[in-house]
Amino acid sequence: MASPVEDDVFEKLKNKTNHKQEDDDLNARNFAQHQRSQERLAELIDDNTSLPVTISSVRVLHANRTRRSFLERVVNPILSANRDEQFTLEEALKEVGKATDKLNRFGIFKSPISVFLDRPDPTNPTSSPTDVDVYISAQERGSYTIKTGTEVGSSEGDAYINAELRNLFGGAETLNANASLGTRTRSAYSLAFDSPILANPDFKFQLNGFASSTLKSWASHEEVLRGGNSKLLWRTKNGHQHEFGYSGILRQVTSLAENASPTVRAEAGNSFKSSLTYSWINDKRDNPMLPQRGYLAKSVSELAGYGPLKGDAAFFKSEAESQIALPFGDTGITLTAGLRGGLLYPLALGGSGAPQPSRINDRFQLGGPTSVRGFRLCGLGPHDGSDAVGGDVFAAGGASLLFPVPKVGKDTPLRLQAFINGGRLLSLKNPNKEAPMDADTVQSSMKKTLASLRDGLPSAAAGFGLVYAHPIARFEINFSLPLVIRAKEEARKGLSFGVGVEFL
Amino acid sequence: MTAERSDQEDASQSTRRAHSTPSRSIFAVPTPIKQLFDRFPLLTYSPNDLPQRAPRHRDAHTLFIFAGEKDAADGAPSYNPACLKWQAYLKFSGISFQAVSSNNHASPSGVLPFLLPASTETSKPPPPVVSAKLQRWAINNTARAVEEPGDLRYEAYLSLLDHRIRRAWLYSVYLSSNATSLSEPLYILPTSSNPFVRLSIAGDLRRAAEKELLKFSAIIDAEELHRHAEEAFEALETALGDDPWFFGASQPGLFDASVFSYTHLLMDDNLGNGWTDTRLRDALLKRKYLTRHRERIVASYFPDTGTGELLR
Repeated sequence: MASPVEDDVFEKLKNKTNHKQEDDDLNARNFAQHQRSQERLAELIDDNTSLPVTISSVRVLHANRTRRSFLERVVNPILSANRDEQFTLEEALKEVGKATDKLNRFGIFKSPISVFLDRPDPTNPTSSPTDVDVYISAQERGSYTIKTGTEVGSSEGDAYINAELRNLFGGAETLNANASLGTRTRSAYSLAFDSPILANPDFKFQLNGFASSTLKSWASHEEVLRGGNSKLLWRTKNGHQHEFGYSGILRQVTSLAENASPTVRAEAGNSFKSSLTYSWINDKRDNPMLPQRGYLAKSVSELAGYGPLKGDAAFFKSEAESQIALPFGDTGITLTAGLRGGLLYPLALGGSGAPQPSRINDRFQLGGPTSVRGFRLCGLGPHDGSDAVGGDVFAAGGASLLFPVPKVGKDTPLRLQAFINGGRLLSLKNPNKEAPMDADTVQSSMKKTLASLRDGLPSAAAGFGLVYAHPIARFEINFSLPLVIRAKEEARKGLSFGVGVEFL
Repeated sequence: MTAERSDQEDASQSTRRAHSTPSRSIFAVPTPIKQLFDRFPLLTYSPNDLPQRAPRHRDAHTLFIFAGEKDAADGAPSYNPACLKWQAYLKFSGISFQAVSSNNHASPSGVLPFLLPASTETSKPPPPVVSAKLQRWAINNTARAVEEPGDLRYEAYLSLLDHRIRRAWLYSVYLSSNATSLSEPLYILPTSSNPFVRLSIAGDLRRAAEKELLKFSAIIDAEELHRHAEEAFEALETALGDDPWFFGASQPGLFDASVFSYTHLLMDDNLGNGWTDTRLRDALLKRKYLTRHRERIVASYFPDTGTGELLR
């Protein structure tokens, strides 16, 4: 038997469902209306594309914490008063679109940024009949975000806290502070200041300070870094990214493992690196995690300790990377091929004396799931005992054939892959093992070392596996077997797991 | 970029093997698959050459000490008393070794000296020997082990060195005006060419010395430290007397090495940029038995340095 109270509850529940239906109806009606008005607007604009207009004023609404001068730099170019030619309506809309896109890219406004056009009051004697007023409604995002979290990987776990102050001085400046503690990256602290230059989102200045301590288990030590860098970043119209910077970092090789090799023991201690870096990236891939088509070209160069740069390490280091993805029609099958190479050329500190032999902090490492698959992390190249001590010259290449998973289809981020990859990592050959090298010897040794990259077959492995491309990282699980190795190089037979953003 | 490996921790070959043995019983690999796996890699070349900075002479015992790179290679005495003590002791024990210039980061215990025993290509490299275990190691590795005298006064005199003289040394080298003429050129300048790094290391060193001294007294009283050291030198002078070595031994032992590690450096005119605050040095120079003891060791165990100094 139902009590009156219960009846009441049922009544209420019924009402709720009715409300829901009403809401749905209302939404549907609103949507239809909105669509109709959009269509009308499109027609209207279509009819008037060639209508001459002048933009007499631009008003940015809600951007209370943003500097006027900053906004002026963005909107001034679209004001008719600052232009020689007259707009058609179509052109005017395009220019306004560009300006809002720019505002969007500063990352300080909530998207979408909406735009309204209005005719000024015709009774106002200063207005002309072609005048249009532009209203840009730019809601600012909160002035700060604080994030904390934990991350767990297959052999690493960490906890982090991140605080970001946005639009610090009203010119889209960002201050980002990050602290994390973990098992492999023992601790990392950083403070970064980032500001667009001349109110241009494609031209930025960055200033970073950081301190970190990382366990480098493949070479039985911990590397402690303390330093800072400043960078200029710009992106050209055709999508090339350039970065030019200076960094000064104190590196400390410390907390050696009990069984550290003599080579690592000899590397223990402090070294200060003062260097200029330049990097260039041209990424034309459709999806960086799982490219279907397109290519990537990237190069990083670093000059340390030369001339007035001083510091304790002197070298020129250059690294290049390329990747190409070729689709097989519309089947979802893709061939990706990658090639990487780099060299570290010892220089004399301050431009005088003998060239400095490379340090373990600066040398290249090769091998691992995101580098040459089928090898342990840093498994290629010179090894002293079980320590990967790095090399001065490397070349690596790989090719993967990716297929959609049967029954899952090509539109999912899942793929099966078959791969073959390999590489060489060599230390600079020293003809006279005892004596330090002079500049001429370094040059001839470098030539010999580069030539010996082709001695014999490269260390290589082949295998197959499953790839999952998440928007923020790519996951791979592979079965592989080594084909060619050098003695002491550490290959892996069987299954391996990889997470990363850039794969060979 | 992050890169993960499920089991690539710093396990050495041996621990890896140890891990795989029990797991085999659970995930038994069928023989045909094992045979197939064993055929890979199909081709193995000779190993890659090590980089230029890798140490070459591994068939000799290596003592890691504070010293200039060239001085260490030439077998010159270290400028650090703790290192010099063991350097001298190993020489007394007749053990041949090479010394290399290093720093505290290289040491398993966090302080120099330590010794890396000789290794061969084939065998697993032996673990490093820290200074606390060096005496035992030396006794086990030499034909003519140095016998330590069973003298009752041994401990008492050792404590004079380890406390009174050491503390006066710490004060004199790191905190007095010698800091700029000794500790700076010896310990700070070689670590980095960067002025900020040097400044921070200089601060660290100074603080460490102060902390060590404050363990024993509430304030650092230079007067008292020097007076104690003078008394200690006097006591040691009396203990040595006319004998060639302490406690009437027939050959120098660890105690002689400990005394020598301070007396040699105090008497060395060419240490760093020279002594500016000479109080501790002057206190020693008055003791003719101790100074002769030092000369004796230099002449027989560091002959190159001794003659070089006299000629200079």
